[in-house]
Amino acid sequence: MARSGYDRCSRPSEKPVGVFGCVIGASGAVIVTINPASIMQIRNFSIIAHIDHGKSTLADRLLQSTHAVSDREAREQFLDDMDLERERGITIKASAVTVKHMVDGEEFMLNFIDTPGHVDFSYEVSRALKACEGAVLVVDSTQGVEAQTVANAYLAIGQDLQLIPVVNKIDLPAAQPDEVAMEIEQILGLPAEDCIYCSAKTGEGIDELLNRICRDLPGPRPPETDKLRALIFDSHYDDYRGVVVYIRVFDGRLRVGDKIRMMGSGRTYFCTELGKYTPKPTKVAEMGPGETGYLIASIKTLADVRVGDTVTQDSNPAAKALEGYEEPKQMVFCDFYPSTTEGKGNSFEELRDAMERLALNDASFTYQPVHSEALGFGFRCGFLGLLHMDIIQERLEREGGVEVVQTAPTVTYQLELTSGEVLEVHNPADLPDPSTWRELKEPIVRTEIIVPREYVGDIMALCMARRGVFKSQTALSETRQMLTWEIPLAEIIYDFYDKLKSMTRGYATMDYEIIGFNPERLAKVDILINGAPVEALSFIAYRDTADKRARGLLVKLKKEIDRHQFEIPLQAAIGGKVIARETIKAMRKNVTAKCYGGDVSRKRKLLDKQKKGKAKMKSIGSVEVPQEAFMAVLDTGE
Amino acid sequence: MSQTERQPTELTLRGQRATGEGALRGVRGVGSLYVHVPFCFHKCHYCDFYSFVDSRDRQGVFLERLKAELGVLAGHAGALRTVFVGGGTPSLLRAELWEDLLGWLRERFAFGEGCEFTVECNPETVTPELMGVLAAGGVNRVSVGAQSFDRRHLATLERWHEPENVGRALAMARDAGIERRSLDLIFAIPGQTLGEWERDLETALGLPVDHLSCYALTYEPNTAMTKRLERGEFAGADEDLEADMYERTVEMLGSAGFERYEVSNFARSGMACAHNMVYWRGEEWLAAGPSGSAHAGGQRWKNVPHLTEWMDGVARSGGYSPIVDYEGQDALRALCERIMLGLRLGEGLDAEDLQRRAASLGVWEAVRMRIEAHRRSGMLTDERERVRLSGRGFLFADGIASDLMIAAQEKTPG
Repeated sequence: MARSGYDRCSRPSEKPVGVFGCVIGASGAVIVTINPASIMQIRNFSIIAHIDHGKSTLADRLLQSTHAVSDREAREQFLDDMDLERERGITIKASAVTVKHMVDGEEFMLNFIDTPGHVDFSYEVSRALKACEGAVLVVDSTQGVEAQTVANAYLAIGQDLQLIPVVNKIDLPAAQPDEVAMEIEQILGLPAEDCIYCSAKTGEGIDELLNRICRDLPGPRPPETDKLRALIFDSHYDDYRGVVVYIRVFDGRLRVGDKIRMMGSGRTYFCTELGKYTPKPTKVAEMGPGETGYLIASIKTLADVRVGDTVTQDSNPAAKALEGYEEPKQMVFCDFYPSTTEGKGNSFEELRDAMERLALNDASFTYQPVHSEALGFGFRCGFLGLLHMDIIQERLEREGGVEVVQTAPTVTYQLELTSGEVLEVHNPADLPDPSTWRELKEPIVRTEIIVPREYVGDIMALCMARRGVFKSQTALSETRQMLTWEIPLAEIIYDFYDKLKSMTRGYATMDYEIIGFNPERLAKVDILINGAPVEALSFIAYRDTADKRARGLLVKLKKEIDRHQFEIPLQAAIGGKVIARETIKAMRKNVTAKCYGGDVSRKRKLLDKQKKGKAKMKSIGSVEVPQEAFMAVLDTGE
Repeated sequence: MSQTERQPTELTLRGQRATGEGALRGVRGVGSLYVHVPFCFHKCHYCDFYSFVDSRDRQGVFLERLKAELGVLAGHAGALRTVFVGGGTPSLLRAELWEDLLGWLRERFAFGEGCEFTVECNPETVTPELMGVLAAGGVNRVSVGAQSFDRRHLATLERWHEPENVGRALAMARDAGIERRSLDLIFAIPGQTLGEWERDLETALGLPVDHLSCYALTYEPNTAMTKRLERGEFAGADEDLEADMYERTVEMLGSAGFERYEVSNFARSGMACAHNMVYWRGEEWLAAGPSGSAHAGGQRWKNVPHLTEWMDGVARSGGYSPIVDYEGQDALRALCERIMLGLRLGEGLDAEDLQRRAASLGVWEAVRMRIEAHRRSGMLTDERERVRLSGRGFLFADGIASDLMIAAQEKTPG
């Protein structure tokens, strides 16, 4: 039975072999257990990589090689189960899969904890890494070390994980495994000779990798107490079973039927099911130290589960919780409003329902109702980063079936009041009168940019223009450099990434991490249409470059607002002082040239449409402003 | 073939496949007639009229069907005050067919005293012989499609006639005894300057005409030219330049004795096109030929815009065309149409008639308030008995019409 997979064992009399035991439950369901003595044969690890470097394919290949997934049922990228993830080539949700592997007759349990690969999800990566002792660092042999390779490797090293570097895709003609191994050594200090060359596609190097995972990665630390302490490292919402909580047991044992307590929130539940994804969900009766799996306990919403919390026994609780993770911090904000085009999926109620459904399986974004004079009722949402924002928008539209209008993103500012109180502000409209506050601070990120050498000058200029502070420059290889800058986040969310990509013909990669808040010369810029201030268009900007940004905004606004029968001044002002001005000339003519007998019906309908169009416009200072004007203006391009 | 030939016609009226029969029931004594001749030798890319280049000679069959339809319409017509034959290119119809058609019309319809009978002509296809036939058959007005006298701008419009032929065509009409002559001109053509447009107007004024139609080039949806504009192949005229050209047109033609009696139409005293006035005053007319539109008994409808379908339909139903876009009686729609069309006229709307219509729908107060507002802003004149655009108001006719229509359509409480 040993190689045939846990879900196939059928005879209860069969003796447990290696790490795994097997019993048939009372209901006849297959239940997998672990021999308590075998903790040292458990390997908890993650695969970390830059986007598109082949992490998911490698994961699939590992599953296949351990026969956890048969060749027939091996669909590509088994661990990514959302369409969206598949399309964008990224993994959004971490999930844990348990497989086994034999090395020299010794059986190992491999708990493979999947992590997202993208810049925005370093928080999710970090919480997944907390449950691991090691990580496989994958680098594409045709691309080399990229920004997220570095960022993810730093995260893993920061948590004292053992790393196994893997140079992937060596089957491709453009592969340069030796050069890439040198880059890994150069930038991350992992000896080039330790790199495994592999091809997830052909299977080359996979066995070696599995063996190295078993031999080189450390086993779980021994338990420190016999009282239960299990770390929640992820959770997701399942329509049929409610919240599924991913846990890593560090100390003590957890059994089905136990009354458990979340040490942070104090909530208690009965554990109704424990299991592991093998990768099919497979129930187990209990879990002990070193083990990873899922827990179901009739938890209704994701909001009731704090990732990073410690699960213990209610009747025999641990004295101290495990070192927790931080709460996810939303750093990028934008508003979503229902689209005003007529049709299904365009009402506030539908948007609210979609938001609520989405919040059930993504606890890391926040939302609260807002009302905009221009766009009506909607939601102000907070995200971990820009990609996270894009994903939420797409999921709202795709899974929620709503059409949304999205405003330009802003960052979270820290506002220190004269009273000494510190407020968080992420909407320019919420900024109080300047006399009531002392200092406005903005979030600063440290960014690593990896770029071919010929573009270094351009990128330096770009970072400088975005108020960046240069930190360091490191040669990865003869042709590529890594630049480290500290830049205000507000400058990054404002088309920085697009600029970076276009300036380097797509070759540059970047990652960033928020390192703190700096007081800056910031000001709120008001936009006035025909003398009337429009709160929905105001923004916070760096004082010295505010006029340039304001001018760009006014030029766009001018294009979107139709001429009226009178001249319309458009102004941008800081505290009453006008810093930019544009004028929409008065309309000269609005009359259909030809209207004969056969045209009457159509022309009448056209005039009716003019009327309907007007109904959708917002009247500001007796100027009809179409919704498109707000959108075009909020579009962050220059 | 033009793409309008693909339009669906499966429309039902009173439970049947719609033909003019249902619409014409109860219609009597209509004094105006429109006849559509769809043939062209080239489909101009700005044109959205139903027309196409006929590769097979179907003119003979077309005429037989047209006569069948006219035979039916004659039963619903009174003494004709106006007839208008448009297209397409009616002058493309062969002279002997014209002779046949005109004779037949005389036979079946009663023509009122001084009936205005207009035929649209292409400067390239007219001959002295054709003009003779038209004049002899009672045609007393021609409208010649000149568009421009500048070869470069004609090429932009895909018009391939020689500019000199416009004058030649008008002379032929005059010599044949056709007393009233009009030209169509287009301005705001991409690349056209104000000076060039002024020269076009001067040239037109030097020709034997009593009527000029001057249209700002309009990008109608689904025309080849609009698609080219949308693809960015050229830029449309600047709004300010277009307004300048229009204002200059009113000025130049006005001082030459041509009064603006409709947004784009100018005529010497008494020479306004009576047939078109029927459209703008919301009076009744009948229509024959594919895509011809009619308005009678408070209804609007359009013959199917497809030559073979129209011919088959007319043959099958003994002279009734299959119809599309039928609109039944509707007082609110009629009011909106009165506002939209009446405001386009130099004479404007009769205030009393407007008040009566609006009051019967309970919306007069709302409409009146908007009228007063536009009078205050100088867009409408102060005359109490007329609701009439001022000189400046003409430039904003659509906006004002739309505004009054909104007022008419808003449900007034009580």
